Amino acid sequence: MSKASLSMRPALQGYVLLAPALLVYLLFAVYPMIDVIRMSFASWNGLSAESRFVGIDNYRAVLTQDPVFWGALWNTLWWTALAVVIPNLISFGLALALNQNVPGRSSLRVVFYLPVIIASIAVATIWKWMYDPFFGLFNSLLTSWGLSDWIVDWLGDRKIALWSVFAAHVWQSVGFSMVLFLAGLQSVSLTLIEAARIDGAGRWAVFRHVTLPALTPTITIVFVLSLINSLKAFDIVYGMTGGGPAQSTQMLAMWAYTQSMQLGDFGRGAAISVILLLITLAVVVPYMRWMFRNPEDAR
Amino acid sequence: MASVQISNVKKSYGAVEIMHGVDVPIGDGEFVILVGPSGCGKSTLLRMIAGLEVVTSGDISIDGKRVNDLEPKDRDIAMVFQNYALYPQMTVAQNMGFALEIAGRPKAEIKAEVEKAAEILSLTPLLARKPAQLSGGQRQRVAMGRAIVRNPKVFLFDEPLSNLDAKLRVKMRAEIKALHQRLGSTIVYVTHDQIEAMTMADKIVVMNAGRVEQIGTPLELYDRPANLFVATFMGSPAMNILPAKVTADGISIAGVATVPMPAGLSASGEVSYGLRPDHVTIGGQDAVSADVLVVEPTGSETHITATLGGHEIMIVSRDRVDIAPGSKLPVSLASEHAHLFDAVSGRRL
Repeated sequence: MSKASLSMRPALQGYVLLAPALLVYLLFAVYPMIDVIRMSFASWNGLSAESRFVGIDNYRAVLTQDPVFWGALWNTLWWTALAVVIPNLISFGLALALNQNVPGRSSLRVVFYLPVIIASIAVATIWKWMYDPFFGLFNSLLTSWGLSDWIVDWLGDRKIALWSVFAAHVWQSVGFSMVLFLAGLQSVSLTLIEAARIDGAGRWAVFRHVTLPALTPTITIVFVLSLINSLKAFDIVYGMTGGGPAQSTQMLAMWAYTQSMQLGDFGRGAAISVILLLITLAVVVPYMRWMFRNPEDAR
Repeated sequence: MASVQISNVKKSYGAVEIMHGVDVPIGDGEFVILVGPSGCGKSTLLRMIAGLEVVTSGDISIDGKRVNDLEPKDRDIAMVFQNYALYPQMTVAQNMGFALEIAGRPKAEIKAEVEKAAEILSLTPLLARKPAQLSGGQRQRVAMGRAIVRNPKVFLFDEPLSNLDAKLRVKMRAEIKALHQRLGSTIVYVTHDQIEAMTMADKIVVMNAGRVEQIGTPLELYDRPANLFVATFMGSPAMNILPAKVTADGISIAGVATVPMPAGLSASGEVSYGLRPDHVTIGGQDAVSADVLVVEPTGSETHITATLGGHEIMIVSRDRVDIAPGSKLPVSLASEHAHLFDAVSGRRL
């Protein structure tokens, strides 16, 4: 066998091993993505044999004639901004607490992680019951505490419905980031903490100068994952309110689904999906580029 | 600079006592090395001085003040760790100035102190770099710089050269020794490498299984080891220990050779006869025949492993010995440098 073919072998082996995953990825991820972009420039009801090219009509309609789109965009951005901060701060606090030598620490880790393994649609059902205005847990508790004046229609009041759903999302998502933070905390060098203690650092200074820098890669991962997951928020909102009342909990991903699957306008649905994709890329790509440009800081 | 007094210090983890009442006096400005095999408790003792481990009982005093209950930061010590423990996100200058920054010193003062220490350690061109951009030796110097900048009462070193290659270790050994001579500071240094201990220390503390076996200057330990453990641990290659019996004719060693009782020693009955490899002579009037197993020429010396009466012995010769494994070698065990140990307790006789 020649030298060249020998040196080719590892690369060839790599491609052979990659092929099945690559095929599945191309077929079920890349092709649909490209097809959605194509579809966003077409008019198609999802049933007819042919679709018609309409240029940027779908985008124009979505951006200029669809007030629900703007409401959904606003909700999605708010949801994302809060979902990146609030659940992750709680996760971080829990991880710090459960990284200490507290009694029952393993059981508590399981308890806080449990909601993550429950299907979102089941979480939605659980919380819908708890929010039920007549028989739900929250209003019953308020009544039993003599706080009947505080009773609200958690999912029926358009002013608070989105935040009621958001609370369920926090409950469900906290465990996932907590596990990532816990894994990050395990990798913080004990020797570095000891060195800092000898250098005179108190608890806060150790946290600031040792723990936090060591957690930078974890924080980056948690941030990016939360961002992407929040921008495409769908299932828990769909399961709890379906976008109501009066579109007050409508989200971009859900509105794209509604346009396509319920209103039969696949062109508009695709256009909304593409806009969502562009928003996601606009946020994530600069962040990733910044991260890779500063490998020292990201370490 | 300060003295350190370790008095009857014990350490237990749960019901298991791993340090059994250790006493070590450390004088002002002394370079003391704690040496011993893995698990002997030397690092635990150092960490107790640092305040990173709780003292179960006994007292540790720095400069006459009991520090058992003080936080590490309040003990006025600095520590150099085996893996350097540099803050990865900080530059060399920031690493070195961190303790002063935490102490709230003015920026100009921190800068001056860092530059001074960097000058001593030849780190000036590296001040703006981050630890990831430094070699092992440079990182070690930064770790030392971080300690120097604080101007502490006591420097603690926890196996600082273990992660360096052999050549760099020799260089850094000399640098640390020179640093001690320059600063005149009190240093407590932990190592498992007895060469490091011999070459650097003013005073060596040999530890084994949570006890102090002997405290003394390097040459005291080498020339008059207190027991079999110290005799075999200090010195490389290790001292030959052969079973022997004191008779009217002298000392009968391993049933194959009889040598006269060395001057100044007296013993009776069963003993252990200790002779350093370089005190075994090749040839001589009373030589007995040893079977050569391995010959290792090091350039300046020849190390020969052989068996004598069923016991393995090591011979170090300054001459180049041209001999093949499997052949016979006449060796003489008689020496005025021989050591005698009690066969049962292992104590020096």
